[in-house]
Amino acid sequence: MGRQKLLLLFVGLCLGHSSLYAQDFTLLHRKFQVHGFASQGFIHTDNNNWLTLNTSHTGSGQFTDFGANISVQVTHKLRIGGQIYDRNLGQLGRWHPSLDWAYADYRFQPWFGVRGGKVKTPLGLYNDTQDLDFLHPFVLLPQSVYPTDLRESTIAHTGGDLYGTIRLRNSLGSLSYVAYAGQRQDSHDGGYPYLLKGVQIFFSSYGGLQYGGDLRWTTPLPGLIIGGSRLNESISGKGTAFLPGTTVITPYEEHSIADWANQFYGRYSFRRLQLDAEWRRYWRDQRIAGGFFEVQNDVRGAYLAGSYRVKKWFQLGSYYSRYSINLPVFTVPGLPYHSGDKSHIYDRVVAARFDLNSYTNFKIEGHFMDGFGLPAQYPAGFYELVNEKGFQPKTNALVLKTGFNF
Amino acid sequence: MRTAKNGLRHLVATFVVALPTSVVAAEVRIIANPSIKADAVSSSELKAIFLQEHNSLRDGAHVEPVLERKGPTHEAFLKEYLRQSDDSLQDYYRSLVFTGKAAMPKILASDEEVVAYVAKTRGAIGYVGANASVDGVKVLEVSFGEVSSRKLLNRIEPSYPDLLKIKRIGGTVRLKVTVAANGNVEDTLLLGGNPILGDAAIAAVKHWTYSPSRSRTITEVSLSFDPNR
Repeated sequence: MGRQKLLLLFVGLCLGHSSLYAQDFTLLHRKFQVHGFASQGFIHTDNNNWLTLNTSHTGSGQFTDFGANISVQVTHKLRIGGQIYDRNLGQLGRWHPSLDWAYADYRFQPWFGVRGGKVKTPLGLYNDTQDLDFLHPFVLLPQSVYPTDLRESTIAHTGGDLYGTIRLRNSLGSLSYVAYAGQRQDSHDGGYPYLLKGVQIFFSSYGGLQYGGDLRWTTPLPGLIIGGSRLNESISGKGTAFLPGTTVITPYEEHSIADWANQFYGRYSFRRLQLDAEWRRYWRDQRIAGGFFEVQNDVRGAYLAGSYRVKKWFQLGSYYSRYSINLPVFTVPGLPYHSGDKSHIYDRVVAARFDLNSYTNFKIEGHFMDGFGLPAQYPAGFYELVNEKGFQPKTNALVLKTGFNF
Repeated sequence: MRTAKNGLRHLVATFVVALPTSVVAAEVRIIANPSIKADAVSSSELKAIFLQEHNSLRDGAHVEPVLERKGPTHEAFLKEYLRQSDDSLQDYYRSLVFTGKAAMPKILASDEEVVAYVAKTRGAIGYVGANASVDGVKVLEVSFGEVSSRKLLNRIEPSYPDLLKIKRIGGTVRLKVTVAANGNVEDTLLLGGNPILGDAAIAAVKHWTYSPSRSRTITEVSLSFDPNR
């Protein structure tokens, strides 16, 4: 009943969007701005259930999110603001709102500023905007690089950033940089905790230190941006586990030995055409089960995407996304290595976006996937908990979504 | 020879009269609140301001961008200075707003609203059509190089060609100006705009004097001709 009311509210907001322009108001001689967004999606697949939803029968509409923010320019150089975000994607999110970002930003000079608080993490072209689907031609960004079930692992850190933009001499464009450090703290409703629930492991806390940077060059060639990002982290997870085949509960702990991601990217825009290419390698080396096992994951993702705005209200897009995972080590330390598990997901996508007006859009896209990753080892969209009969090698998906923002 | 040149000018002027009015209307002028001391900004500085990468000028003065919602002036500004479509610019602003990196800039419906807002808002910088009234604001020159540090010491206003003024033909011309180390204008080249207005602009700019510098510099100057003034 509550869900129906929420859907009715959503439809009403979409239809009555004209009253939902961004709200500006002045308080204590300061200009405040309020903005928000919401979206509702639907996914149907022909074979495997996807993204923790029961997509393979009649499809699933458990694909909702919304957010709202408020910000104020305190002085010419100081801004503060915050945003809440809530989503329900199958078994993920589960309507538990979170503080998406909230920070103070002091810009000393164009080439040097600082941010402190909970800050979106820069990683590639779209990590910090991956929830904002109204900015993208696609409902789902390439999952090889931006896995929506693992968004919490990279989306934000609580700490500080140094940032700036430097204009290069001799018309060589500009360089933008961000260096950051902070704490990552995952909720209990992310993809990785959900994966481990399948083997009777329940986290009470999961997170740790993250630090890294992003450097992007806006080249002299109009429309061309290239860059690279680096993320390092030291993650610990604590909770409880049932000993296999028993009802005995034991403490569970895992922590990073080495944990990092590199990402390189390029984007070229020319008139109505946009081309994106990104490559990410995520290396994860963990001691799990209180240090009894060592497990390494070598996750590589890459995609090539293109979109063309045919009309102001109509955009076409397509991408090819390649995901691969190798499990070079899964062993008890001191014993010979067990290795060799590997798998992939190759996803071909076609998409169309209709902009009903400046604030409301509707999208439809088809995914044609080969492979399903290593669902027992690391999340990649396909989970054993919602695919109890096993996995089919190929999955086709129809994805619909509508949303608005103000 | 001179007669033939004048005849050619008349021919060009007649041709320009026949052009669609949108061509002339698409020219833009950059305006600023009088609190801004600078008389000129570079095109790269202007781009950085409107992309919210910079919130101050080189002299440290705070600036706040003001946009028009749509129309030929807005389209001309995007094409000339930001080189992107309105859709991509709006997406860019939303990406900043929803990640907390900047506020949505002020967006107004017409030249009149932009002028009124810029006139009353300290640090505001915007753009309007070439024929808009600019009472209460200052018009900034836009240079397309690293030159705004050279101060313009002596400025001669161009004379408006009679024929074009009678026919109410106006617009903005863009000149590439080479300034010698001693501050004298060494060379000029018409980059865009009506060629007759361009000749008038060149005749004036050749007599301008800039502050001395260690070396020769190249700048781009925009001059507006308003038949209503």
